Parts: sequence; structure tokens; C-alpha cells
Amino acid sequence: MMPVPTKADAAFFRKLTVLVVDDSPEMRRLLAALLESMGVEHVIEARDGLKGLDAFIEHKPDIIITDGAMQPMDGYEMTQRVRAAGAAEGANPDVPILMISGHIGRESVAHARDQGVTDYLPKPLSASVLYEAIVAAVSKPIHFIEKPGYRGPSPTRRLTARSADDSAA
Amino acid sequence: MTDLDKKLPKAPRNETPTDVRFVRVPSIVERKLGADYVAPMRLDPRVLDQMQTTIKGLETRYGDALRAQVQTLLALVEPACGGDTEVRGRLYAIVHDMRGLAGTFGHPMVGRFANSLCNYIESAGTTAWSDDTIFHFHLDAIREALESPSADPAITLETLNALQKLIAASAAERRRLG
Repeated sequence: MMPVPTKADAAFFRKLTVLVVDDSPEMRRLLAALLESMGVEHVIEARDGLKGLDAFIEHKPDIIITDGAMQPMDGYEMTQRVRAAGAAEGANPDVPILMISGHIGRESVAHARDQGVTDYLPKPLSASVLYEAIVAAVSKPIHFIEKPGYRGPSPTRRLTARSADDSAA
Repeated sequence: MTDLDKKLPKAPRNETPTDVRFVRVPSIVERKLGADYVAPMRLDPRVLDQMQTTIKGLETRYGDALRAQVQTLLALVEPACGGDTEVRGRLYAIVHDMRGLAGTFGHPMVGRFANSLCNYIESAGTTAWSDDTIFHFHLDAIREALESPSADPAITLETLNALQKLIAASAAERRRLG
């Protein structure tokens, strides 16, 4: 009998710890509510990149969802620092990082990719885009390149902002 | 050269190929479930339904918050255009929030008007605040879109185009004045 593929259901998401980094309380509330409705029980929130880095070390998340523009540290610099962190106190520097941003121009996406962002999601966010991006990020094998001063997803790979049209739902 | 070699990304010119290593890291599912994981992971429609129900549930609360934000913005325009930099920061933060969230909660045109105003503030820099006209027109459009969500989309788009023209004219005037 053929084995049945694993389902991305609430039972699986219960095992995940997700770090949400965004300076907008409304956006954090939305993301936390969506993650909880998926079954995620451990949602950690941080309001900027600096606090996000602290939470990354402390909570060792399985996935990070971050905004781009924040003060004093933005999501791009935080991503770059996470990738450069090494296995800091057990935290996983290879953690999938999803960036959600209103800036979907080629330059912004390329900048995110160059810092080591895994996937780029446009605002306004839809449930289907978030769900599919999370499933892809946690289930696809991660192919990284390692070179002096950089470890992360290949900066030469093609990355475009996901759109609702990418979604089957 | 093998086919695989051709597909691999090239090292930048200042690095020798030996400086670059390719690493396959186990996915999060593989780490969590180990041998119990059977690829490919399947989507579960029930999870998506639950997420969409969650958004619906938050819509009313967000609509109320949006109305309160519009009132706050109306009060902030005058001091912001009068030179208060702290108020300018608050005003931009609220509009930036609207740009990102309104579309998710069923107010796509509010999001687009907010996006237009954000782009104006970002591109015009400090000169954006020298005249409150563009702010007031945008806030009127946002208020109208919020109060009449079922308005004819063609008319709403026309309003957006008019705002774009107003911004372009303002940019041209700034260039003319140097």
C-alpha cells in the first residue's frame, strides 16, 4: 500500500513555534489569530528586528514571519543577522523566514533575497497565500549556499513576491 | 561540465569556486516528524476555511478601528503640515498600517488610497508636508470608500486616478521651483 502524504493540518502545526516580527500591533494581532486558527500554539511576537533577534535566541522558532520596514532594526537586517548567527545557543540560523511587505517592487524583493529571506509575501495578505507559503517553507528541503560572510538561500535564485494568483484556493 | 554544474549558481568574480559550498538542510517537517514524514505535504482545506473564518470574525472590529484611525488622521493633518515632525511620524505610521491591512479585511480601495498617500509621503520627503491639500483629498477618499464599500468601483478608480494626477502635478511644481 502506498504511504499517505503528510497533511498540513492542525495536529502538525501544534508542533511549531512561530516568531512574528512587525511594528504594527494590528498586523501582529492578525497574524497571531491566523496562526492560532491553523493550530499553532506557540506564537511569539516582537515589535522590531532587534526584539526579534532576542526572541529568536530565546524561543528558537521553527519559522519567522517578519515585516520589512521597522525601526530601529528592519526585517532585512534582522534576517541577515539570523543567517549569520551560527547555531546561537541552539537557535536555528537556517530557519525559514517569510517577509510580508507592501513594497513588492523588484528592488525590494531582490534586497530581501540577498539578505537570506526564504519567501516574500505581498500586503494585503490573504489567508491562502499565508497558508501555502508556510507549508512550502516548512516542507521543502532547504538548499543553502555557504561562502565567506554569507550562509543562506542562494542569492542568485529567482524570487518574486507571491500573489493571490499563485494560490490554488 | 555536467548538467548539474551548469545549473549551479556561479560564484561572484572575487571568489574562487572553492569558497562556495552547497548544503542541504533538513526541512522543518523532516526535523519535527523524522521518518513519519511522507512527502509531499498536502494542504488541508479545513485549515484554510478556519483561517478565512478568523479573518471574517476580525473584520467588524477592524472596521471600527479603521473609522477611529480616519478621525485621528483628520486631526493630525494640520499639526503635521504645520511642522510637527513627531506628528508626521504618527500620521505616516497609521496610513502605512492601513495600506497593509485594509485589503485583507475587505476594504481594498481604502488600502489603495492609503498606498497612494504613503507613496506620496515616501517620494516627496519633507516637501510633502508643505501643503495639506493632497492629504485632505486622500482622507476624503478613504472616508468615502469606508462608508460606501459597495460604491461603483469605476468611480472609485477614477478618484484614485485623479489623486495620482494631483500628486504628479505637485511633483512637477516642486521640480519647477527647484
